[in-house]
Amino acid sequence: MATVTPDIAAPVQPEPAKALAPKREYAGALVVVEGIDGSGKSTQLYLLKRWLEIGGYRIHFTEWNSSPLVRSATRRGKQRRLLTPTTFSLLHAADFADRCERQILPLLHGGYLVLADRYVYTAFARDAARGLPPHWLRNLYSFAPVPDITFYFRAPLDVAVSRITAGRPKLKYYEAGMDLGISLDRAESFRIFQERILTNYDQMTETDHFVLMDGTMRVNKLQKQMRQLLGDRIDLAQFAPKKKR
Amino acid sequence: MRRSAKNAASGNGRPSKGAKNGKNGREEMPSRFYGMPLPGVNLEELSGSLIVVEGTDGSGRSTQISLLTEWLESQGFAVQTMGLRRSFLVGEDIDSLLAENAVTRLTLALMYSTDFFDQLERRILPALRSGLIVLADRYIFTLIARAAVRGIGRDYLHGIYEFALRPDLTFWLNVRPEVAFDREFKKAQTISYWESGRDMSLSNDLFQSFIRYQSMIKREFEYLSKRHSFIELDGEESVSVVNRLLRKRIASHLGIRGTHYAPSHALSHLWR
Repeated sequence: MATVTPDIAAPVQPEPAKALAPKREYAGALVVVEGIDGSGKSTQLYLLKRWLEIGGYRIHFTEWNSSPLVRSATRRGKQRRLLTPTTFSLLHAADFADRCERQILPLLHGGYLVLADRYVYTAFARDAARGLPPHWLRNLYSFAPVPDITFYFRAPLDVAVSRITAGRPKLKYYEAGMDLGISLDRAESFRIFQERILTNYDQMTETDHFVLMDGTMRVNKLQKQMRQLLGDRIDLAQFAPKKKR
Repeated sequence: MRRSAKNAASGNGRPSKGAKNGKNGREEMPSRFYGMPLPGVNLEELSGSLIVVEGTDGSGRSTQISLLTEWLESQGFAVQTMGLRRSFLVGEDIDSLLAENAVTRLTLALMYSTDFFDQLERRILPALRSGLIVLADRYIFTLIARAAVRGIGRDYLHGIYEFALRPDLTFWLNVRPEVAFDREFKKAQTISYWESGRDMSLSNDLFQSFIRYQSMIKREFEYLSKRHSFIELDGEESVSVVNRLLRKRIASHLGIRGTHYAPSHALSHLWR
């Protein structure tokens, strides 16, 4: 007859959040833009992508939350508001794992310059704003390759929020952080949620070596700066089109 | 503190876990979670019991769950069950991923964890708050074992499941892979792709692949069994013998006196 033995495993002590360990075992390079909604990051990455595309560079552009794999589950969860902070986070991690294993990693190994509009830091900032512990999130995404450069677009909260609310008649439930029950007013909830995310991003600036970009600068000036910084940090020649001899 | 209170109430004279681990006579209970508690859960409210039955395919797990449900209901306990791929959120999505066989191991592992936490948060915790007995047909241990044999780090997996609720009792119905093969083959006249671990390219021969895969899973369970204090039962015994052992242990946990049980007509076909 079997007997019960005392639990051996002591409760795991939460460890302080660790920065992702850089692993460079591939020929490609990974460029990431991060920032809250309305910080101008997508516009700037688009312009960077166009510049590289026109120049004929070997690039690939990837977006956060775009794989068909979890689309139906995400839609179901969002429509019926079934997602908890934990399942919201895990579903996005599953989606990212799919993109990472089937797109990002093969492309990096194949020597591509991969441009990512949002990366794991989005999950770190947003899911922590929903109350998940940073060390749990860091572990969850520990399979992700570390970017060669992470541009962090920072705009004051008021600027970013007004850019978003001006362009969108209605904020979506999860987008506005309504699941947190901060405020019944969607605009108010969105603002407070974004503020928490902004604080979380700011805290990662140093630990994760973000390159800080001023999201209030003129678009073309900011783009010029971005191109300059990219060239300084990454040897673009290796992604350039091969010249025929 | 619930567990020790129940042990005392059952009067079986067995020292409670708390008393064993206690220092200076003060009780120290293992946390109800493995690591940090799931955000937003108040442990005081959880008055039900979580009982897990683990074991590979062909270990008799599901049969035992059906019988235990009937027995507990006859004793006046309300029962809620959980199992793999039963969440509303992603249960069907995982089914179709498995059918397509185009998913990578990490994505699949994370989809299973989503499935697990959706059930835990939206079905199991509410049931435990209402004082129900939750019978889990597999738990995080199968998910950890399956992912670990596919090369995903054990620490990584334990990290994800640190929010999981620690079961009150975890039974492991241990059977040899050869016996599991016989039983599964009898049931379906074939062996499924995933049960034989064919995604792992272990062998082109289905029998060899099944045995090697299930042996790997079994080794993970042996490790997990020590780490998480499973109650190991010989799953090769007859259904009625295994069921009696399960009832005895559960009765002592719940403080039920009588453990007599004979299946109703509806379930008598299971009683072998």
